[in-house]
Amino acid sequence: MILEQLINGITLGSIYAIVALGYTLVFGVLDILNMAHGEIFMFGAFMGVLVTNTLKMPLIVAFLVAIGVTAILGFLLETLALRPLRGKKGVSHLAPLISTIGVSIFLENLAHHFFGAGNHPFRTSFSEMSFQIGSITIYAVQLVIFVIAVLLIVGLSFWLSKTKAGKALRACAESLEAASILGVNTKKMITTTVIIASVMGGIAGVLVGMAFNSVSPQMGLSMGLKGLAIIILGGMGNVKGAMAGGLILGLAETLVVVFGESGYRDAIAFALIIIILLVRPQGLFGKASEARR
Amino acid sequence: MLAELINPYYLQVLSFILINIILGVSIYITLSTGQLSLGHAGFMGIGAYTSAILTLDYHMPLVVGIVAGAVLAGIVGLCIGIPTLRLQGVYLAIATLGFGEVIRVLFVNLEGLTKGAVGISSIPHMGRELVKGLQDFGFKASMIGLKNNQLISLSVFLILLIITLLIIAFFIRQSNSRVGRAFAAIKMDERAAEAMGVNITYYKVLAFAQGAMVAGFAGALFAHVTAYISPADFSYHRAVEILIFAIFGGSEVIWGPIFGATFLTAMPEILREVNEYRYMIYGVLLVVMMAFRPQGLIDTQMIYKMKQRRKKKGVS
Repeated sequence: MILEQLINGITLGSIYAIVALGYTLVFGVLDILNMAHGEIFMFGAFMGVLVTNTLKMPLIVAFLVAIGVTAILGFLLETLALRPLRGKKGVSHLAPLISTIGVSIFLENLAHHFFGAGNHPFRTSFSEMSFQIGSITIYAVQLVIFVIAVLLIVGLSFWLSKTKAGKALRACAESLEAASILGVNTKKMITTTVIIASVMGGIAGVLVGMAFNSVSPQMGLSMGLKGLAIIILGGMGNVKGAMAGGLILGLAETLVVVFGESGYRDAIAFALIIIILLVRPQGLFGKASEARR
Repeated sequence: MLAELINPYYLQVLSFILINIILGVSIYITLSTGQLSLGHAGFMGIGAYTSAILTLDYHMPLVVGIVAGAVLAGIVGLCIGIPTLRLQGVYLAIATLGFGEVIRVLFVNLEGLTKGAVGISSIPHMGRELVKGLQDFGFKASMIGLKNNQLISLSVFLILLIITLLIIAFFIRQSNSRVGRAFAAIKMDERAAEAMGVNITYYKVLAFAQGAMVAGFAGALFAHVTAYISPADFSYHRAVEILIFAIFGGSEVIWGPIFGATFLTAMPEILREVNEYRYMIYGVLLVVMMAFRPQGLIDTQMIYKMKQRRKKKGVS
C-alpha cells in the first residue's frame, strides 16, 4: 500500500519536476517569473485531449501537436508580452510579472471559451493496462510517464551541460551582458529559452492528462502555483533544485492523501511557499547571495 | 417621479462599483509603497466570512460583524506582513499569492465553520436590516412614495456611498501627510528613504496592514450586499481583478484605482456582449498596459496638468 503510494508520488513528482524546469529555465536566464507557464501547460494538455479523443489519433501525434502549439505560445509570449518590456527605462521589476499574469488569465479564459468549463477525459490505449509485482500494482501509464519524464530531464541536462547552445544558455543565465559581449546572440537565446520552457510545460500537460485522465481550463492555475512552490523550494533558477523539489512535492502530496487529509492536498504547495520564503528564502539548494533580489 | 427613477438593478450595479472602488483603494495603498500583493482576495474573504459567521451564527449586529471582519483582516495582514516584508518584489508577490490560496483552501475545508465549497447563504442583508429598523420607528417606504425593494436598494447605495467617500477622504488626507510622503519615498527608492531616516519596515507593514484591513472591510460589505458568499468569490481571479483596477486606472494617485474600478465594473453592464470575454480583455489589458503605460491611465502628471488648467481658467 505505502509502496504503491510511493510509486504514485514519484510519478507525480517527475511531472512536477518537468513543469518546474520550465519555470526555472526562464527565471535563470531572464530573472522573470513566468506566471503564464501553468496555462501553457494546460494548453498542452488540451492538445492531448483534442488529438487522442476528438481526432482519435495515436498518442505520439498528441505529443507532437502539444509540442508544436506550446512552442508557438512560447514564441508569442516572448515577442508580445516580454520583449516590449525589456531594456525599457523606468519599468519596475514587477512589470513582467504583471504582464505574464495578464497572459495567464487570457489563456485560461480562451481555453474556457473553446473547450468549456468541465473536465475532459483523456483516454489512451493502455490506460487500463497494469501489472503486478508481488503485492503492488503498477499501471503502464505510470511507467510511460516516468520514462518520458526521465528522458526529458536527462536530455535537458545533457543539452545544458554539453552542447554549445546549452553552454550559451547558461552563460546568459550567468549574465546577459557578458554573454552578449562574448558573442552570444542573447535575443535568440532568450527566445529559445522561453520556447523550450513552454514545450516542457506542454509535454508535462499531456503527461498529466494521461496520469489523471482529466483536463480542465482551471488545471493550469493550480499546476502553475505548484511549479512556483517547487522552484522556491529548490532555489530559483536552480535546475537540480527543480528536479528534487518536484519529487519532494509529489511525495508529500501523496503522503497527505495516505493520511486521509486529501482536502489539504493543494494547500501543501502554498504552505511550502510561505514557509520556505520565511525560513530559507534562497531555497534548499540555493546560494545565500541569491536570496535578495 | 422619484419612484420611477430609482431602479433597484442600477442601484445594485452602483453598489458593486462602490465596493470595487474600496477594493481598488485597498490595493492602491499596498502598491503605494511599491509592494505587489496578490493576497487581497484572501483578506477580502477573511472579512466576508468573519462578518457572515458573526452575524449569522452568533446573531451579532451587522455593524459589529463588519467592523470585526475588517479588524481581523487587518490583524492577519499584520501577522503576514511583518515576516513577509523582509521579502522583496517578486518574492512578496508569490508569498501573498500562496497566502491567498491557503485561505481559500481553508474556507473549502473548514466545513463546520464555513460550510465548505457550498458557501454561506442567507447572510443578513444590509438594506433589509436597515429598512426593518426604520419600520420599527414607524417609517415606511410608502411615506416617501417608494416601494419596499426600492428603499432597500437605495439605502444600501447611500450607506456604501458615504463609507466610500469617507475612506477616500481618509486616504487623500493620509497621502498628503507625513505617512503618505514616507510611502512615496519608499516607493521611489527604498535605500534612499532609509538613509533619510524613514523607518521603512514600519511604513511597509503599516501600508500592508491598512490594505488588508480595507480589503477585509470591502469583503464584509460585499457579504452583506450579496447575502451569499462562497470560496470561489475569493479566488486568484478576484485578486487579479482587484490588481487590474489599480494597474488600469493608475497606481500613482488614488483617482487611478477609483477610475479603474468604476470603468471596469460599469463596462460589462453597459456592453452586454463584452461580459463573456471579460477576463480575456483583462488579460490583454494587463499586457498592453505594462508595455505602453505601466503607471496606469491616470498618473501624477495628468493630475498636475488638470490642476494647472483649472488654475488658468480661474485667472482669466
